[in-house]
Amino acid sequence: MGHFAQSARALVRLAGLLLLALAASPAAAQADAPPVVAAASDLQVALVEIAAAFTGETGRSVRLVTGSSGNFSRQIRQGAPFQLFLSADEDYVRDLARDGFTRGEGALYAVGRVAIVVPGGSPLVADGTLDDLKAALADGRLVKFAIANPEHAPYGRRAEEVLRHRGLWDAIRPKLVIGENVSQAAQFAASGNAQGGIVAYSLALAPQLAVRSTFALIPEDWHSPLRQRMVLLRNAGPVAEAFYDYLRTPAARAILARNGFAVPGEGG
Amino acid sequence: MDWTALELSLRLGVFTVAVLLPVGIALGRVLAYRDFPGKSLAEAAVALPLVLPPTVFGYYLLVAFGAASPLGQFWQAAFGRPLVFTFEGLLLASIVFNLPFAIQPMQRGFEAIPPEVRAAAGCCGMSPWQALLKVELPLAWPGILTAMVLTFAHTLGEFGIVLMVGGSIPGETRTVAVAIYDRVQAFDDASANAMSALLLAISLAVIALTFAFSRRVGRRLG
Amino acid sequence: MAGLEVELRQEAPIPLDAAFACAPGEVLALVGPSGSGKTTILGAIAGTYRPREGRVAVNGDTWFDAGAGTFLPPHRRAVGMVFQTYALFPHMTASGNVMAALGHLPPGLRPGRAAELLARVHLAGLEQRRPAALSGGQQQRVALARALAREPAVLLLDEPFSAVDKATRLRLYREIAELRAELDMPVVLVTHDLDEAAMLADRLAVLHRGRTLQTGTPEEVVTRPASAEVARLIDQRNVFDGQVIGHDAVRAVTMLDWAGHRLEAAFNPAWSQGSAVSWIAPDGFVVLHRRDRPSRGEHENPVPGVIETVLAIGQTAHLTLRPDHDPRLPLHFSVPLHVARRNAVAPGVAATVSLLAEGIHLMPPAA
Repeated sequence: MGHFAQSARALVRLAGLLLLALAASPAAAQADAPPVVAAASDLQVALVEIAAAFTGETGRSVRLVTGSSGNFSRQIRQGAPFQLFLSADEDYVRDLARDGFTRGEGALYAVGRVAIVVPGGSPLVADGTLDDLKAALADGRLVKFAIANPEHAPYGRRAEEVLRHRGLWDAIRPKLVIGENVSQAAQFAASGNAQGGIVAYSLALAPQLAVRSTFALIPEDWHSPLRQRMVLLRNAGPVAEAFYDYLRTPAARAILARNGFAVPGEGG
Repeated sequence: MDWTALELSLRLGVFTVAVLLPVGIALGRVLAYRDFPGKSLAEAAVALPLVLPPTVFGYYLLVAFGAASPLGQFWQAAFGRPLVFTFEGLLLASIVFNLPFAIQPMQRGFEAIPPEVRAAAGCCGMSPWQALLKVELPLAWPGILTAMVLTFAHTLGEFGIVLMVGGSIPGETRTVAVAIYDRVQAFDDASANAMSALLLAISLAVIALTFAFSRRVGRRLG
Repeated sequence: MAGLEVELRQEAPIPLDAAFACAPGEVLALVGPSGSGKTTILGAIAGTYRPREGRVAVNGDTWFDAGAGTFLPPHRRAVGMVFQTYALFPHMTASGNVMAALGHLPPGLRPGRAAELLARVHLAGLEQRRPAALSGGQQQRVALARALAREPAVLLLDEPFSAVDKATRLRLYREIAELRAELDMPVVLVTHDLDEAAMLADRLAVLHRGRTLQTGTPEEVVTRPASAEVARLIDQRNVFDGQVIGHDAVRAVTMLDWAGHRLEAAFNPAWSQGSAVSWIAPDGFVVLHRRDRPSRGEHENPVPGVIETVLAIGQTAHLTLRPDHDPRLPLHFSVPLHVARRNAVAPGVAATVSLLAEGIHLMPPAA
């Protein structure tokens, strides 16, 4: 038999086996796949903990996707198959509710804070009043400063508000490194690729960050409040609903509080 | 190591190759053998994904089958799921943006067959189908294999379009490339490292294979 | 009707206006310069090319008829073709190549038959070699065996000897000649080499820009070309203008005026008195006078002149003579080298030749 014929047969057999294996894999079964939860990036650490606790208690699981709230809002409008949306800014939720994508207006689940983060070895100091930042801008210590994208990330918008409040926006603008979401901004800052950044307080507390950086909280009244609202989307199933409810239990709230969030029923 | 993501990437790669194999052979043959008005335009269209920034492509794909488009709405009505943010949508995008990787090497493979050899096949009494199986495919085989290998590797590595059209939905559209991005943002360097090393190894293997096969084209016809 | 009948016409992209027939067992050579459409015509017979108008029929079966819309693709024509580049399948052995054309036999019989065919073309023992491991002459024989394997109704050979060196070519001519005896189908051979055509073919068709200008035996075409154009295509160099002065039925001659010099050609009353003609004097009919014996006026058509060039190639001397009556009309002819030496022929020497009347062939005036 010709060389081509032999290799062709072998290839067809291999391909057949591969296709069979892949078609039969668990990921292909869509019907009872865990629901997808879209969460703002500042919940990166806290939500993983909460989801694990949820699974431990109920035996059900969810799939998490993190990103900027503005991005998710857009994707939901384009038909993204999320069942629950945890936004970092309630305006996005209200807009989606008004346009009929959600079940009602959802609920406030946390209030967030911003902090300035400074990696180890940086010439900056973690000063919550931003006086050091101002000085660093003047004397050239600052080369790059990370924030999330103000256009679609709530924490990015607050970072801009804070910087404007202190009159530093114009000076610092050319030195900004923009993260697609607050997690990426935190990553830029913590890795030392920027001398510092203004990111979510919850991320500054994260172990992976805490071990290589220092932080300081920035006064709340320097920016519009980060009222974080969650909402079930139209096609939400029972597991998503259960998770939505679980997020308002004391157990979940404790986890959120531990991660730097102010939770409702706690003066927020 | 995100095994679900790896499996998803492999599935996307295999299915893309499975669809583009017959499509590439058919179109590669036509482009290799025939001259027709508008041929340059057709070849340019096929080559477009090579030069177009992935985000431009992703944007146009979203316009073409997003929830607001006729195709997207038809799909939603017919199957109850959108085309975007699903594996099927990703597969469709993958098929389109891999066209040059599939078609061009196959076209070169068929072009390398001397026209007299093809004519000789007919003069030997072989029907066009027999000529394809016994003469053309064996001679164009290295080009076809190169095309499949390149398509598979390119699919594994595609990031921008996958993210724009698929989102990063675990088990659905979070391929290895996207998973790496996700793990970096989650400060999970260990995972990101493992998956990156794997993709690097696969890419190197692919390049080595492609070079080995393109040498064989010369030897076979020499 | 048995044999091959071909009639092809088109304006573009390749102009064609050819018509010829080839009987079973006959070898017809299509001769002409490059670009005269010879390969296209073979393609039209084989089915790899589809002309605008015309008809191709073999043994009564119509393979192509533009008017009736009939067109059989090559795999449905019983045709065997040897391509100019042999076009062997590089990924198959010699035996594999021949078996590729044995689709009409049950698989079990194919290897044996392929071995038989290869033996017939003197390639026994080389069945398992790939084309890359065979010499040009061997590849050509595999191509021939493959063409014959199909038991074709027509055998087509496209410049089969052009890529082969001279020694191999001579050997192949002999082998083809042997093979011919067993071939009972029409054979069409394309070549630009007139000598090769003359040696191998029963008849030849002279082609120019896709038109068949003349079809006939090699001897007919060479000594009695139909026109000045054909004469030039077959490399006939002594082509001149002339005018018919008159006819002499008694002496059976036709008198011709050649730029003021009077010639007597074979009697041919078809040309009316006073008509302008072209005429040729083929090489064999130009005879050098012995220089050591003065002319006594008994030679036919003496033409005195001066030798311009002498070119010795092998045992032949190729000469050019500038006639005294009009040096602008040189005569080219050849003599054996010893004759040239004996007559001390050299450039600048005065000499006289005779143009034999039977060789002077009249044609319509050049356009």
